[in-house]
Amino acid sequence: MGLLLFVPGFHNDYINLTFRNILMYAAMSYGWNMIGGYTGYVSFGNVAFFGIGAYCSAVLSRAGVNNLFADVGLALVVCALFAIVVGLPILRLRGHYFGIATLGVALGLTDLANNLDFLGGSGGLNLKQADQAHFYLYYYAMWVVTLVCMVATFFIARSKLGYAFVAIRENEEAAQVLGIAPTRYKVTAWAIGAMMGGAAGAVFAPANGFVDPGTAFALDNNVFPIAMAILGGMGTASGPFIGALLLSGVNEILQQKFLWLHSLFFGAIIVLIVLFLPRGLMYLVGLRGGLRRWFSDLRAFRV
Amino acid sequence: MSVAEARDVCLRVENVGMRFGGLWALDDVSFKVERGTILGLIGPNGSGKTTMMNVISGVYKPTAGSVLFGEKRIADVPTHDVCHLGIARTFQVVKPFASLTVRENVAVGAMYGRLGAKRSGKDAFSRTDELLDFVGLGRVTDRPASDLTIPDRKRLEVAKALALDPELLLLDEVMAGLNHTEVDEALHLLREVNQRGVTLIVVEHLMKAIMSISKHVIVLAEGKKIAEGSPLEVTSSPVVIEAYLGSRFAKRQQEERER
Amino acid sequence: MQLLLQNLVNGILSGGILALVALGFSLVYGIMNIINLAHGAYIMLGAYLAWQLFTSLHLDPMLSVPLAFVALFVFGYAVQRTIINRVVRAPVLATFLLTFALSLVFVTIALFIWTGDTRGVQTSYAGANFTLAGVTVPWAKLLTLVVALAITGLLYLWLHRSKMGRAIRATSMDVGAAQLVGVRVPHVYGITYGLGAGLAGAAGALLTLSYPLTPTMGDPFLIKGFVVCVLGGLGSVEGALLGGLVYGVISSFATQFDVTILGQHLSGTGLQDVVALIVLLLVLIVRPRGLVGRATV
Repeated sequence: MGLLLFVPGFHNDYINLTFRNILMYAAMSYGWNMIGGYTGYVSFGNVAFFGIGAYCSAVLSRAGVNNLFADVGLALVVCALFAIVVGLPILRLRGHYFGIATLGVALGLTDLANNLDFLGGSGGLNLKQADQAHFYLYYYAMWVVTLVCMVATFFIARSKLGYAFVAIRENEEAAQVLGIAPTRYKVTAWAIGAMMGGAAGAVFAPANGFVDPGTAFALDNNVFPIAMAILGGMGTASGPFIGALLLSGVNEILQQKFLWLHSLFFGAIIVLIVLFLPRGLMYLVGLRGGLRRWFSDLRAFRV
Repeated sequence: MSVAEARDVCLRVENVGMRFGGLWALDDVSFKVERGTILGLIGPNGSGKTTMMNVISGVYKPTAGSVLFGEKRIADVPTHDVCHLGIARTFQVVKPFASLTVRENVAVGAMYGRLGAKRSGKDAFSRTDELLDFVGLGRVTDRPASDLTIPDRKRLEVAKALALDPELLLLDEVMAGLNHTEVDEALHLLREVNQRGVTLIVVEHLMKAIMSISKHVIVLAEGKKIAEGSPLEVTSSPVVIEAYLGSRFAKRQQEERER
Repeated sequence: MQLLLQNLVNGILSGGILALVALGFSLVYGIMNIINLAHGAYIMLGAYLAWQLFTSLHLDPMLSVPLAFVALFVFGYAVQRTIINRVVRAPVLATFLLTFALSLVFVTIALFIWTGDTRGVQTSYAGANFTLAGVTVPWAKLLTLVVALAITGLLYLWLHRSKMGRAIRATSMDVGAAQLVGVRVPHVYGITYGLGAGLAGAAGALLTLSYPLTPTMGDPFLIKGFVVCVLGGLGSVEGALLGGLVYGVISSFATQFDVTILGQHLSGTGLQDVVALIVLLLVLIVRPRGLVGRATV
């Protein structure tokens, strides 16, 4: 069931870092999956939560607190609150508008971070530098975060809450008629996803040692988790992880072989994914009818 | 109205009017629905039957008048809380949750309907299985909802509505598209639902269907209520005949009767 | 009073280019129902094309505008027919990601060809301006506004008078019906998308007069372009124009905004995106169909 989480305790910094990033992206992908995959509200600004989480850690560090639990704790609270406050007006919007509004939120936050001095402005903030021994600590921390995300997703999907999300995705009006208060549940999904992204950011920041608006709110960090969720299968519990694994792997290989051109190929890969695997790999796995069915499904999307 | 009568009424439609732009789809319609009965709502095309259903189920807020369920005005209740009052409905255009199975579709209702809050996921599913057997969908519970035949889709609609544990069930043209046998099965099912204590309001085009199960019938034409009574009274009313078949035919009938 | 007027004029001037940017975006969204995140990249490509022509052939950017339009139009048409058409009916996410990825590809290509160094175009009239009633009006920006208005007008006429224009409008109303009367929809979509790209390219060429060039220059215009579209009413030509002007003015006044809250200094110029976001949210909450749009939101 894709629950093959491993623990490479390799004594190799590069591998450690790579896999830590994979876990980080997976966590972010799970966060997006909750609102985008399960509830059907495609957010194009979830990087906002990652950034908020990262800045939470940074601010705490600035204030002298260097405890991971505090970092994550604060990130969870702030992200959830932010999601609720921003979600209430935004989640009333449909499809396209919601997507762009979230993008706007992410960009707006970037701007804000660039301008507020106590957040370090465009120069960013430095945190306590991660030393060798702590390097592994951060790895395990990220592992735990991702595990929690995965497990949480698994259980939510099977719970009453999960069904509310899916019902909203399938047919929001029908869901209402069956007694589901849409706003309440949409905001909940959004907040849960926010907390996931925020936790990832909160662990990332001290591990990275440095946070600035460009790193925290990078648009790449916005899109990769989405692509990963799609590749693996949106609205599934193992999709984000599989997607993160695969896509990060591809990215690493590309970076090795093509250095800076890798962006181009990565973009091309995303294009291919969207064109040929819009429902993700999990869909292919469960598909009956083989190639023909696959292509006829794809053809439904063109004019 | 005696005390006993008052207690028996579960739904009160009072001077309801519904206007869309310049057109009054409903014009000063009033009637009462007694608890435990089956009320038929008929009328020629465009008479406002579906609009009435929409007003009663809270989809539209009436331009004039009000609908009271028990003591509550339905217009005051948000859409998702209507089923928590005890009112459920089926829709003419059936759109199930396509990627969920039949069982899951109904379970959502059981989870979030009137008694849903007290149910755990597991309980909701057992209630669902019960209901699916009751309506006759036992064989297809694990199929994706998009795979069903028309009669089965109708059954699914009814099951979803029943999952909400309603006191009042509104059925909007639930028999459209069914053949003879299927209609009889549907009627049988509706009678059983009624026997379980659910009050029904049935909107139908099929005369025979309405006449055979309704205790009381209301006739709408051009948004107004033109007749009310038992099925027999209504079908022999000249006003009703005129509305359905035109004034010339009605006149001819009248003349024949006088001869 | 002076300041007020200056801001107003500044706003209208910058609004012109925004309107042009928004126009292409709005067209594509209104007719194909696609949010084209590659729009910013097309602007950038148009700008670089103009720069290249200026540097190699000493061609004035104003003359490059129609060239950029044609070049990007053809490019856009090709992109639509080969790639985008495959996902036209797919859910929002697919087109979002696809156009984003395309944008990524284009930006990287631009980075490769022209490197990340900032470049600029210096024309003889670049810094020149005239003063009217105490208000300074840069010639370059005024020209930009005029051209933008002209293009908008032409587009409007074309959409409403020409055969293809009518085909496009028909398709936007009902794809199935349009097909039934013989409209070749993929071709129409190709034209529409090509137009969107072409307009972006033209805007890009015009931009070289007043702005520096970098491969990522298109990004800020993308989000502002979208806000302008929503403000004016998605899918409406007049809306894009009106929205552009209004937004230009709002944004111009916002740059004057300079407060200090809780010891934090916030300047309007730096917070452009926040302003955009606030405007967007307000519009979406208060009047989703925009100033001129149809009430089908």
